[in-house]
Amino acid sequence: MPGMRAGKTVRKRLKFRKEKDVVEQIIFYILTAIAIGSAAYVVLSQQLIRSVFMFFVTLFAVAGLYVFALADFVALTQIVIYVGGVLVLLLFAFLLSSKDALDTISEIPSGLLSANRLPAVLISLAFFGLLTYTFFNIDFQNLNWITSAQASGNVKSVTDDTIRNIGVNLMSRYLLPLEMISILLMMALIGATQIARKEPKAL
Amino acid sequence: MNFYLLYFLVAFTIFGFIAVFSLFSVYAERKVSAFMQDRLGPMEVGKYGWLQTAADILKLIQKEYILPALADKVLFTIAPVIIFVAVYLGFVALPWAPGLVPATMNLGVFYVFAIISIEALGILMAGWGSNNKYSLLGAVRSVAQMVSYEIPIGFAIISAVMISQTLDLQIINYNQGILAIDAVKFLGFVDVTKIGGILAWNVFQAPHLLVAYVIYFIASLAECNRAPFDLPEAESELIGGFHTEYTGLRFAFIFLAEYAMMFLVAMLGVTLFLGGWNTPLPNVGSLQLATYTTGVFWGIFWIMTKCLTVVGIQMWIRWTLPRLRVDQLMTLCWKILTPLAFLCLVISGLWKLLL
Repeated sequence: MPGMRAGKTVRKRLKFRKEKDVVEQIIFYILTAIAIGSAAYVVLSQQLIRSVFMFFVTLFAVAGLYVFALADFVALTQIVIYVGGVLVLLLFAFLLSSKDALDTISEIPSGLLSANRLPAVLISLAFFGLLTYTFFNIDFQNLNWITSAQASGNVKSVTDDTIRNIGVNLMSRYLLPLEMISILLMMALIGATQIARKEPKAL
Repeated sequence: MNFYLLYFLVAFTIFGFIAVFSLFSVYAERKVSAFMQDRLGPMEVGKYGWLQTAADILKLIQKEYILPALADKVLFTIAPVIIFVAVYLGFVALPWAPGLVPATMNLGVFYVFAIISIEALGILMAGWGSNNKYSLLGAVRSVAQMVSYEIPIGFAIISAVMISQTLDLQIINYNQGILAIDAVKFLGFVDVTKIGGILAWNVFQAPHLLVAYVIYFIASLAECNRAPFDLPEAESELIGGFHTEYTGLRFAFIFLAEYAMMFLVAMLGVTLFLGGWNTPLPNVGSLQLATYTTGVFWGIFWIMTKCLTVVGIQMWIRWTLPRLRVDQLMTLCWKILTPLAFLCLVISGLWKLLL
């Protein structure tokens, strides 16, 4: 009976679809748990070097979350720039700084409400409050810009080639910001070379 | 659920391949070095010593894990895993034959480039975690070298990508042979879409890519920390560099990562510049050599042949050239390779605009 068999495969496919969704959700929650846990470790750890290495885990987990947002290019850029660049720079800064300078950091009183921690505590609590307020006040299913984009068909699917879009936009609509950033980077590069240069011997 | 089983199977296959490849390339390396230095090399275990590396790995597995008393235990333990996983993940995007690629992604080239950069972090972790002057010096040297050489390697890759007009490694492969989606032009003007073979490879589609490939090859030697760029493990000054303190299986993983990295950069270079899994034999008139020698098994055969040749050249260079000094290394990178690679990039741009 071909009809019955077709029904069976459809049901099977639906079941498969559901299974896939479940696995995706599990991966999503694992990634968020890793991101939050490692970020907490970065802040709470007393050993600076472990914080830096743990920050790598945070960045990696966040890159994974970007993939869920269909921003795979941003995810990879995050890995190249932050893990391959900024984090290595941080580590070098750590390795090159003297032991005394690092010891003074650990001597700072570490009570939760001590004078030098209070501003940070206040700011983070305020931001947390803001986030929870937004979260409970917004109906995420019926946001204006989402419904209008869905109505006009302006949506991305998983298999879409996003980089072509990024490339075209960078070279047309956002050309001025791109050029400004490149000039800024150029200035930083020249400045760094100037600082790193051997100074001519005095006298 | 079968779907997920397939994922695991692919992952295990890649791991198995890396393990077997490293086993035999260590043997090959020792034999090549012996040949270069007019010795015999390993001769005891098995005929011509071909079981030598299997015996070595058995010994490594049985060895005790030694944790230095003052080492940072966590960092020291996970560093080899991170170094290996960084390289292992790179294999995910690399295509083996028409229709045979572990994961199709439209950002393949960028992905491989990104994931390799994690290795630097693992090396730094190993160097710091060992709490040993030599390890730390080796690690810092290694990372400085890898970060510097990422620039010419990046420019060389981009100049090839600009000719191919895509970041998907599989489409880059397709566009270098008879299965091409777009028209393939030999030297920019002769249409060889139907002829294929060696004429359709990227290096012959745009001849300046030959220079780009040489830059890529030199820089990739530095990325693998291999001679003449093996300053991170310069044994005359640093004992063993960042892996001085490692023993047993942990050491084996670092070693595995090094050989996997050799194959990975060879495979990426072959895919971007030397036609990937495409056959070197062109269709000549009624003799359809390219059509005969294109397929899944032929694809695997060609890419293995090309990659093993490149790995062989890497070994040949290691046992021929002396080690560079640090200042020579940096001069080569910043004053020679980077400007040349940048020139290749500009030519690629003009090539696409004008031809």
